[in-house]
Amino acid sequence: MALLARDAWYDLARTTEWTPRYISEDTLFPPEMSGGEGLPAEAWATYDEPYKTTYREYVDVQRQKDAGAYSVKAALERVDLYNKADPGWISILKEHYAAVALVEYGASFQESRYVRWSKAPGMRNMATFGMLDEMRHGQIQLYFPHEYIDKDRQFDWSHQMMWSNNWVALGARHFFDDMLMTRGAAETSISANFAFETGFTNLQFIGLSGDAAKAGDFTFSKLIQSIQSDEARHAQLGTPLLQMMIEYGQKDKAQNLIDIAFWRSYRLFTILSGIPMDYYVPLDMRESSFKEFMQEWIVTQFIKSIEDLGLSKPWYWDLFMTDLDEHHHGQQLGTYSWRPTLWWNPAAGVSPEERDWLEEKYPGWNDTFGKVWDVMIDNFVNGRMDKTVPGTLPIICNVSQLPIVGTPFKSLKDTSIRFEGRTYHFASEVDRWIFEQDPERYRHHENLIDRFLGGQIQPADLGGVLEYMGLGVISPGGDDAHNYAWVDKYRTGAVAVAS
Amino acid sequence: MALFPISSKFHGDFVLKLVPVDTENTMDEVARAAAEHSVGIHVADQPGRVIRARAEGSDTPFPRDMRLSETGLQPTETVEFYFE
Repeated sequence: MALLARDAWYDLARTTEWTPRYISEDTLFPPEMSGGEGLPAEAWATYDEPYKTTYREYVDVQRQKDAGAYSVKAALERVDLYNKADPGWISILKEHYAAVALVEYGASFQESRYVRWSKAPGMRNMATFGMLDEMRHGQIQLYFPHEYIDKDRQFDWSHQMMWSNNWVALGARHFFDDMLMTRGAAETSISANFAFETGFTNLQFIGLSGDAAKAGDFTFSKLIQSIQSDEARHAQLGTPLLQMMIEYGQKDKAQNLIDIAFWRSYRLFTILSGIPMDYYVPLDMRESSFKEFMQEWIVTQFIKSIEDLGLSKPWYWDLFMTDLDEHHHGQQLGTYSWRPTLWWNPAAGVSPEERDWLEEKYPGWNDTFGKVWDVMIDNFVNGRMDKTVPGTLPIICNVSQLPIVGTPFKSLKDTSIRFEGRTYHFASEVDRWIFEQDPERYRHHENLIDRFLGGQIQPADLGGVLEYMGLGVISPGGDDAHNYAWVDKYRTGAVAVAS
Repeated sequence: MALFPISSKFHGDFVLKLVPVDTENTMDEVARAAAEHSVGIHVADQPGRVIRARAEGSDTPFPRDMRLSETGLQPTETVEFYFE
């Protein structure tokens, strides 16, 4: 059967619209679901999606792409990557799949909310394909790690993590609920699609893709390249909305949404991308440092896209640039120190050669973070394993839900406020500023420490906390990825260790 | 006597830590409790030097024999610890 060319019917079909006569406009599109208050009715029809596709085209292209990823997976199963890859790489897979798979599935609900609630017909149409993207991403990123579960139970977190009370899950849920699930459709497309997806998914999916290929993991490389090609498309959902808001005098609101989403995304990605890139990827396979990736993808490209639209860098730009040298190193020390709380086995990444690399990429590392590692290495070398895991918990930020870390001797500090009789701690001035933008949104959430002090975690000790977080329940907790083999280089006496 | 959580910011450490102490503890006892979670764990020991405590941002340490209940600190408030 002959088919009409897409451009012969597409615009007419996608702008087909209802004119409600039996219910009000606000009943059809409730403001709390649709968002975009203050934008005039005629504006919505002008939403012009930058990427156009039809269902037939979508299915054809995606089938080919998915078939490519599945065929690479099938071919490489014989290679036995699990037993041959560096254990640091296996840890990246465990962290990635658990942190990403169900979030992608959750994002299909985000997109489906646009499909129903967006007032822009073009956005509803395009979001339908974004919704299908996210369903596929959830499914494929559950299917790929599934083959590893019989080799290593920690891969079961790919499916379980987002349902658990693991501290990373508390942080991820708090972030994604804020960015994806609890704002109007118009605002969400700016927070989630424009700021989070345009800016940051590149970091994980393109940044790690190169590292994966170098590590010989072509399955993962192919998979995340395929996913990113979808993300790059549906990430564009937010841009026309942003242009509409600016055109109709809502520039400050748009800037505010970006400033909040940018910082929250960045801090989350210090755990998801920052630590693996600078500590887990084997030294000879590293493409760039986390900071270099951030400078390329965020500082240069993403900021250009903001400024091209007439918006500004976030107000905290100087703080952010300083933070690129610092924050993820503190989070690496934290995650490694509290490794029993992880579902993956962290690589220390601080052999003498790796420390040289860190010092080159982050001048001053040895005199700050390195001093803490010196103490830890001295404990490892001298067999004081009981001193290598803290006997208490870190103080946790009430916005990011991450431990409050800083550069030793330099920038560790508390930023707290009293609000309605409760003390809230923040990991930075920006986190506090985010809270203050909408206290009602954030004030009722209890972080891990609030729950611990409130008696929700029993027994109230480290064992009780681990069980609460699912460690020893879903799988054993984390331990050193290389079984401490890297410590041997410090045992020879060839390398000085502080005592 | 009452259990009282504080946030410990120990000089040279990289992370704020939750430290359970008691309202009747002296600041020397509070400092010892904080040191247990930092010194020899993440911060190198400095034998022979006294560990002092002060409110975050303050230049003046609390008297060593002052009781925690007399400091005016709120639960989970951050206290700085440092080798004198």
